[in-house]
Amino acid sequence: MSAEVQAPAPQRSWLARRSATQRTLAYSFVVVALLLAVGVILKPGILSGSSLRIIAELASFVGFVGVGQTLVFLLGGIDFSVVWVLNAAAILVVAQAAGHNSNLPVALVLTLGVGVVVGLANGIGVAYFSISPIVMTVGTNGIIQGLALGLSKGLTCSSCGAHPAPALTSALQGRIGGVPGVVLVWVGVILLISLLLSASTLGRRIYATGVNPAASYLAGVGVKPVTVSVYVISGLFAAIAGIMLVTFGGGASLGLGDPYLLESIAAAVIGGVSVLGGRGHYLGTVAGCLALIILVTILNAEQIPQYAREIVYGGVIIFIVLLYGREKRVT
Amino acid sequence: MASRAVDRRGWWNYFAAQQATLLLAVIILIVTVLAYLGFYAAQFHHLPNSFAWDSTITNALPLVFVGVGQGIVVLTRGLDLSVSGTMDLTNGLAATHMHASLASMLGWTLIVLGVGAAIGLVNGLLVTVGRLQPIVVTIGTMSILQGAAAAILPEPGGSIPQAYTNVLGNTGSPVGLVFVALIIIAWLVLRRRPLGFALYAIGNDPQAAAANGLNVARARIAAYVLSGILAAAAGLFLAAGSSGGDATGGDSYLLASFAAVVLGGVSFRGGRGSMVGVVCGAGVLTVLVNVLFYAKVNSFYESFYQGLFLVGAVLLGLGVTAFTSRGRRGGAR
Repeated sequence: MSAEVQAPAPQRSWLARRSATQRTLAYSFVVVALLLAVGVILKPGILSGSSLRIIAELASFVGFVGVGQTLVFLLGGIDFSVVWVLNAAAILVVAQAAGHNSNLPVALVLTLGVGVVVGLANGIGVAYFSISPIVMTVGTNGIIQGLALGLSKGLTCSSCGAHPAPALTSALQGRIGGVPGVVLVWVGVILLISLLLSASTLGRRIYATGVNPAASYLAGVGVKPVTVSVYVISGLFAAIAGIMLVTFGGGASLGLGDPYLLESIAAAVIGGVSVLGGRGHYLGTVAGCLALIILVTILNAEQIPQYAREIVYGGVIIFIVLLYGREKRVT
Repeated sequence: MASRAVDRRGWWNYFAAQQATLLLAVIILIVTVLAYLGFYAAQFHHLPNSFAWDSTITNALPLVFVGVGQGIVVLTRGLDLSVSGTMDLTNGLAATHMHASLASMLGWTLIVLGVGAAIGLVNGLLVTVGRLQPIVVTIGTMSILQGAAAAILPEPGGSIPQAYTNVLGNTGSPVGLVFVALIIIAWLVLRRRPLGFALYAIGNDPQAAAANGLNVARARIAAYVLSGILAAAAGLFLAAGSSGGDATGGDSYLLASFAAVVLGGVSFRGGRGSMVGVVCGAGVLTVLVNVLFYAKVNSFYESFYQGLFLVGAVLLGLGVTAFTSRGRRGGAR
């Protein structure tokens, strides 16, 4: 009996015996390696310490937003509100602290609180009122955009132009062993989210809900609380990304969050996370972030004009997903 | 045949399943227009003159067209993020190439609409033959199109012939209504054709549609082609309305097109809703800007009220759907 079962096994390659998630994860890291190889050929300096440092830091910003987008994708949803949650967080953490360390704790709590509240609203709307995630998050994005612009008077309030509190900047931009604080935080987040997805009850419930919400509900998964917690995590990490970005740029600006919607979606998709839910892992998104930033670094180094960069960027995303992001054939 | 089915199920059930959200969209439009009239009259002590009406209708045209295109794709459970890029590109093409001769204006209109159709064809092929998720495909094409638009028109400029603006962007006569009527008539014809039937069937259940012999891939490609053509038309209206080109002018229309679809009562789960509703939704969003202006709302808070309005309208729609589908199994979603 066991011989019969084992017989065909050796004919399948190592790769074919992995799950779909593990396979695409492997592919996405191959993409990173290939892009890095292209980078080394075109611009050998890409492997220098300062170049790797900037790549890791830029990738971490996409990575923080990507935490939420990945988890929301695993449920088959999407979060458009990250754009203005990020931007509102950036404005709030700067304006509330007004450049003084003593104000920082309150500013941080308020800023993270905004992310949690928006995520909570998104989650409740999607889970308990069955509003489509697109509609709900486009709506809350508008609400938080209006509040951020209105309360800061279009970023003209007296403390809006302040520098971030010095303690925040030195903690996140200071280096330990040559690695910026932001990147160290990201490494911690990668470990945390990987554990959450691979080894926690919530992680299993997220995958179960994404694959089949009705069956998960019947199996005793609290589908609605799981959905709410995922959107809360997404809001929280969009706010964290906003905090990280002000220390990098030295202040808040309007439109800070605009690129991060598409980049977080693209990173998750390149990492093999299915927008239909239930398939993918945050580690893939991490590979996607690195791939996107390495691509941008190469295009910048080649002094390719902005418009051509956008064209190549879009083309590469479609090319990569054509390689391994295709849906199963429906028969 | 159809009327007998309606009789058996009862007029109310038929209405509830098919038209309740459309009716809600019309009611929301009427309420918004009344609010506009109220705030306007309170400020000027007379009703808006014909110029105010004509310019409102003209301002609504780009959103009407891009919204209907988005709505058709949403009907098939798809999503088209590239509409903003298409508008950027077509807007730039018209502004840089069109001259004040009839041949040039007609020719470039056709070329631009053809470009829109080609973009839609690429999206549709990648979604169906490429078996990629619509959101991924259209993010990629959006980036490509924005790049192409920036290459054609690196900074705002170019010009649109005055004669062209007089037809597509006229704020002095109600010619905009003609275009609104045209797109409504085109939709009413389309939804009675086999393609319209297929769009709804795919949105409700793609596998059942395929099992019943519908060419699902062809209908989905057609949806993206229509979306591309309508987004290209929206780009032309945008160029005509601003008498010049801007390679980022279409960007704000992406989320607005979703909002118009939602306010129009089209379900993002596919298969339900009418493009007449989307036309109303685009009207609501356009008039809402006037309402906020005359209500003296600080313009910084504009998107706050728009977002609140959007979520409120969706909740209202869900409430109406829940009410009208009482007692029906697997009611309208």
